[in-house]
Amino acid sequence: MKRLILLVSSCFLISISVPVWGQEKETPLEQGQKIDFAKSIQPILRASCYSCHGSDAQEGGLRLDNRARAFSGGDNGKAIIAGDIKAGLLLTLIKGIDKDLGRMPPEGEGTPLTEDQIALIENWIAQGAEWPDSADIAVTSDHWSFQPLSRPVLPEVKQKDWIRNPIDQFVLARLESEGISPSKRASRSTLIRRVYLDLLGLLPSAEEVEQYLNDQRIDAYQQMVNRALKSSHYGERWGRHWLDLARYADSDGYEKDRARPHAWRYRDWVINSLNEDLPFDQFTVAQIAGDMLPESTVSQRVASGFHRNTLHNTEGGTDQEEDRVKKTVDRTNTYGAIWLGLTVGCAQCHSHKYDPISHREYYQLYSFFNSMNEQDVAAPTAAEAATYDEQLTAYTAKHEKLIKTRKQYEAEKLPDALSKWLEVDANLVYQWRPLTNAMMTGRHPATFKQLDDGSVLVEGENIRSDVYTVTSTANSLSGIRLEVLPDDSLPKKGPGRAENGNFVLTNVQVLVRQSGTNGEFTPVHIGRAMADFSQNNWEVTKAINENQDDGWAVSPEIGKRHVAVFQLDDVISFEAGVEFQVVLHQKYETGATHNIGRFRLTTTDFDGVLALEGTPGNVVEAIAADSRSEEQTKVLLAYYKNIDESYKQLVQAEKEHESQSPKMPGTKAQSVVELENPRQANIHLRGNFLTKGEAVATQGLDVLPSVPAESDQLTRLDLANWTVSKENPLTARVTVNRVWQRYFGRGIVETSDDFGIQGSEPTHPGLLDWLATEFREQGWSLKELHRLILNSAVYQQQSAHRPELAEIDPDNELLARQYRSRVEAEIIRDLALNASGLLAERVGGPSVRPPQPSEYSALTYANSAKWQTSEGENRYRRGLYTFFQRTSPYPMLMTFDAPDSNTCIARRSRSNTPLQALTIWNDVVFTECAQYLGRRVVDEVKGSGKAEEDIKQRVNHAFLTCLSRRPTRPEMAAVTSFYKSQMARMVEDEQAARDVLGGVPIPEEAKLAETASWVAVARVLLNTDEFITKE
Amino acid sequence: MEKIMDITNELRQQSRRNFFTSASSGLGGLALASLLHDDGVVHGAEANPLTPKFGHFAPKAKRCIFVFLAGAPSHVDLYDPKPVLQQRHGQGLPKELTEKVRFAFIKKESAILMGSDRKFRPHGECGMELSDVLPHIGSCADDIALVRSMHTDAFNHHPAQLMMTTGVPRFGRPSMGSWLTYGLGCETNDLPAYVVLSAGRGSSGGVSNWTSGFLPSTYEGVVFRGDGEPVLNLNTPNGYSRDMQKDSLGLINSLNRIRLEQQKDTEIASRINSYELAFRMQKAAPELIDVSAETQETLELYGVGRKEPEKTNFRGGGANVYGQFSRNCLLARRLLERGVRFVTLMHASWDHHSNLSEEISYNAGMLDQPVAGLLKDLKRRGMLDDTLVICAGEFGRTPLGENRGGNKQNTGRDHHPYAYSLWMAGGGIQGGQVVGKTDEIGWAPVEDAVHVNDFHATTLKLFGFDHHRLVHEFKGLNVRLTDQGGKVVEKLIA
Repeated sequence: MKRLILLVSSCFLISISVPVWGQEKETPLEQGQKIDFAKSIQPILRASCYSCHGSDAQEGGLRLDNRARAFSGGDNGKAIIAGDIKAGLLLTLIKGIDKDLGRMPPEGEGTPLTEDQIALIENWIAQGAEWPDSADIAVTSDHWSFQPLSRPVLPEVKQKDWIRNPIDQFVLARLESEGISPSKRASRSTLIRRVYLDLLGLLPSAEEVEQYLNDQRIDAYQQMVNRALKSSHYGERWGRHWLDLARYADSDGYEKDRARPHAWRYRDWVINSLNEDLPFDQFTVAQIAGDMLPESTVSQRVASGFHRNTLHNTEGGTDQEEDRVKKTVDRTNTYGAIWLGLTVGCAQCHSHKYDPISHREYYQLYSFFNSMNEQDVAAPTAAEAATYDEQLTAYTAKHEKLIKTRKQYEAEKLPDALSKWLEVDANLVYQWRPLTNAMMTGRHPATFKQLDDGSVLVEGENIRSDVYTVTSTANSLSGIRLEVLPDDSLPKKGPGRAENGNFVLTNVQVLVRQSGTNGEFTPVHIGRAMADFSQNNWEVTKAINENQDDGWAVSPEIGKRHVAVFQLDDVISFEAGVEFQVVLHQKYETGATHNIGRFRLTTTDFDGVLALEGTPGNVVEAIAADSRSEEQTKVLLAYYKNIDESYKQLVQAEKEHESQSPKMPGTKAQSVVELENPRQANIHLRGNFLTKGEAVATQGLDVLPSVPAESDQLTRLDLANWTVSKENPLTARVTVNRVWQRYFGRGIVETSDDFGIQGSEPTHPGLLDWLATEFREQGWSLKELHRLILNSAVYQQQSAHRPELAEIDPDNELLARQYRSRVEAEIIRDLALNASGLLAERVGGPSVRPPQPSEYSALTYANSAKWQTSEGENRYRRGLYTFFQRTSPYPMLMTFDAPDSNTCIARRSRSNTPLQALTIWNDVVFTECAQYLGRRVVDEVKGSGKAEEDIKQRVNHAFLTCLSRRPTRPEMAAVTSFYKSQMARMVEDEQAARDVLGGVPIPEEAKLAETASWVAVARVLLNTDEFITKE
Repeated sequence: MEKIMDITNELRQQSRRNFFTSASSGLGGLALASLLHDDGVVHGAEANPLTPKFGHFAPKAKRCIFVFLAGAPSHVDLYDPKPVLQQRHGQGLPKELTEKVRFAFIKKESAILMGSDRKFRPHGECGMELSDVLPHIGSCADDIALVRSMHTDAFNHHPAQLMMTTGVPRFGRPSMGSWLTYGLGCETNDLPAYVVLSAGRGSSGGVSNWTSGFLPSTYEGVVFRGDGEPVLNLNTPNGYSRDMQKDSLGLINSLNRIRLEQQKDTEIASRINSYELAFRMQKAAPELIDVSAETQETLELYGVGRKEPEKTNFRGGGANVYGQFSRNCLLARRLLERGVRFVTLMHASWDHHSNLSEEISYNAGMLDQPVAGLLKDLKRRGMLDDTLVICAGEFGRTPLGENRGGNKQNTGRDHHPYAYSLWMAGGGIQGGQVVGKTDEIGWAPVEDAVHVNDFHATTLKLFGFDHHRLVHEFKGLNVRLTDQGGKVVEKLIA
């Protein structure tokens, strides 16, 4: 037996009070004896390792109580490899044989393992590390949010008449247990404004307020809520909440911060989906994996553009892979935040400090998002699609007719025409003929070497922009053919003389005169050019156009023969024959000396459509054949189609019509597609994508129920489906909590973005679970959830603070009153536009650029984001349509705490600063709103001639418009007195009155000074705390 | 990774209860009463929250300028000369040093020491050794206390910046400027108590570096723009005279007060204060930024109008960063003269993972003259005695070269929380001294280690506070800037 040695520094463990198992066990180990894991190994691990590598903590991402986790290892690699005592970190560490790695358990953390214990573990591993099911401890957590969701029992309450729905029972039970009574129901004025602000982010009109105040029906409130829920502004209001989570923006971010012209299609999708009350499970699946749904619709693919809201770096020198990894990390973290309410991102660099999420698991989750590619897809809006369909139907009908006519001609007339053509023996066949008596000139000192095959090799100095002139004769001439040929003497074998073997033929000219005369050569027009191959953007037609700077080139098809044919408009012939010149210009100025290296010219006088290689051999054969085979007839017919004028006209007509085919609407959307072969995900050690650790499988988090696979490989779609499955305890809880938070200022779980160990406990756990189960039972209908909350007595309470509760419940956790809060940045804008009557109520569409201080956008990189102020109604659209430039966001929005859109935001901050005061007071948008609101008050309450009465009526109307209520007596007095003082000023200073009014027309029968004074009143109302507050 | 999530808002909502249940007095007269009770909790029941107050004992400093070099400047290239590091340039690092540390980007296996390209020389009577890129600051050495033994807990920028500015590496806590304005109020009715001026790209911490956290937003830093209107929308719209704007303010406040009485929500009181301050800022801010009354000599002292370097595309660079920072330094003095309590001068970024030599020369060139000019100007105006000037980043940089993947050479340094330098001057600081010492390569303090919270404790003491007793009740706890510990570094105090 080996002597027991106390290790100097020790192990994975912590609690020193636990007796060391090894001290009781000193049985010698016999060779070959089977080691029982449960009896011999687990006790050692339990005593020495579990406190740091068990259910409570997983230092280094290693967990030794669960079989799968123990075998998958930790952040640094595999711990146990069955049968292999050399590899695997467990033995290395408990033995302390690697000085760099040290020894486990660490000094001060636990009692060292005895040599005997080490030997046991070593033998167990050597024997295959058998770990029976019975000794496996499941990865679980007793943290509340990971527990299955079940329907709680409604608590008993005393004050039963207060209860409007089950929500109230939970809240009241808690209040009663603390001996607190709820607040009174708020006034109807408050309620209608509250519901409109919460649900629509807009004001109820004065008429709507009046109507509701006078509604005698017993269910007047429910009716009002139902009406509001039908408004399409609901999708805008709640869509914006969702966009906070989805980190939506209209530009890429980072230095270049390029605009994203299609981003709005995703926003429209969100708005429309909410308005249609798309069940939240489908809403979820479409965004996580809409692109992967079988036969996915345009709408679903647009939804998957959710993943495209990440930042995107186009800065020079960006490592594309790094950027992709960053996006994938962001997608993983955003998924975790939105649907699991977990800060999974904390496990990106090392295992999560608080939550049971290991470093490895993070990359397993990451793997779901690791195989998508970004793609913009055609995504016409519904209206655009309808118009397009209509046009397409009309077009197709006409086009089919044209095709039918052609086919008819083809069947009925073409064979006869062919026969007739064949009867005329001239011009049936042609060949490209070599030149006779050719003379070549180029610019000195290039020389031409005639080769045996009739081609010419250009030698001597390769000068810039050479011009080759070939002079020869022919009986008559209809076209020339230029072959450029490879040659071993040329760079890259040519055919050009440029270093890369290319050439640029910038222009071809053909000039003619009658043979034997000394007259001037006359240029003849080349009507057609064709080639076997042309370089992209260097088509052969560019050698016969007006432009001298472009031309024909052949990269990357270097070192090969290429052919170009230049057909004259007419057949040229003279009695004495034709003397002609072919001039090849090579004036490519920007490049080096792109001259042709070897070429051959041939000519023809064929009076038909010229082809690269003359009449094809099989056609010649077919023509010559005594009796034609079926195949030969086919060949002839096909050839003849290019010759028959009538047929060509029909084809031309078809082509012309085709060019008028309706264009698919240009509207696109950002979307993603899944790679056919998924990328392998690895652990990124310390979060650094360059230091790849072990490969990981695609898998969900261990602490949650496992994600079932549809096929052999888990996909993003599997994750999406699992997310909204009954098994997942988090998504429903997290979602109802976030909705609750929008209504009550704080979630039932205050940390709506963290349902993990560090997050806060729910204040009303029963209520949370009841709402979550109800949400699922109502088919994940968000509108039903809203209806439920809005109809609760809790929601309808007054929001006034209750000094008597300041000590007991300072944060209103118990909900003994409603929540009073300044509305969000976008809504402040909306309310001002709304009250003034300026608001453009159109829902959806591309982002707009309302006025902003001009010097502001100069902040962007190299002034890249020019702010072209929108015109017309686009100046007055709701805040959520404001173009969001990440590096220089619209200043008004930022002043009022709009998120920067770089990460998922579940809770906005809400500050109260003098800069905000200055914005509503002085900003150009709010100034205009005050002008129109002032005018509106005067216009809508016509003067009666009784000054005092008019003032009173107008103050009433202004209050009703802005605050949905009538003024109190002190308010009336204060406003009246202010109005009068402004009147006095305006009467005295007409110019000031004009300036205050701006360009706004004075209503009929009203006066300048009075209208301007109402503008001043309007400006005050827009600046009151109450105007921008939901009470 | 620390939990990084913005929870400031909800937190903020909860804390108002300790403040002015009625703000009907608005910003009234400046009653010079101490509102600090013995327990240190501010009970400003009826008063303007920014009324000047006293701390627990006589303050040495009354105002603060915090020059925050976000991104973390390299201490071994600016402040802490290391001849041994020069000698060992290119050598590996002793194992005992790297074993237990982590790096953001450095690969441990191939890490090597990197000497500095900078030359150090002694300055002033005290002989303080500073880098050759800081000649002007060197000329102020006798007023400066240089701490070479700083260390922090956080390893990444944002948490470390929060550590430096709020005392904990998490969101939601008030920044040091907020604590001081909470404790002391301010001497101006016309400008915010706490102003932030920024040059260069934004810092990773952004607004969370000057947030009021769970304190009311009255104590939050207000960002002034360096160019054009100091804040957007400062000008009253056409047609409205100052008197009309005053009328407007009168009615806005009347209506808000009526509502406050009914709703008893202190947020309305904050709104009233915001409007009153906004109104006065409209007058005071244009005067503030109008530097036409400054002499040419003063402008030159700060480097206002000096030439921008030809090359500006650095991490801390940009079109007009030199000009902007110079102007910000001058504006800082003008703000203090007008009674502002705390000015943060932000500059980012000093995160020199590569091309350090060139990058740090650019940044130091930006920093050196204006900050030295500021010290000299404060001194000759008699303001330096009670104005604390702090110049610091969030951590230091590794004596190791950064061998991040893709870089062929080591041209930069990685994050290094274990040791860094900062300096303070004026406001009760004993100038002309170096406090603390790092080991021979600048890895870790070996003498007088100063933790970030020690720095906070010291700063609070200079302002007359026992850091244990400047607290705010939050969630049933008395929370303070130095929650995580901290002891006063007496050596620093004159």
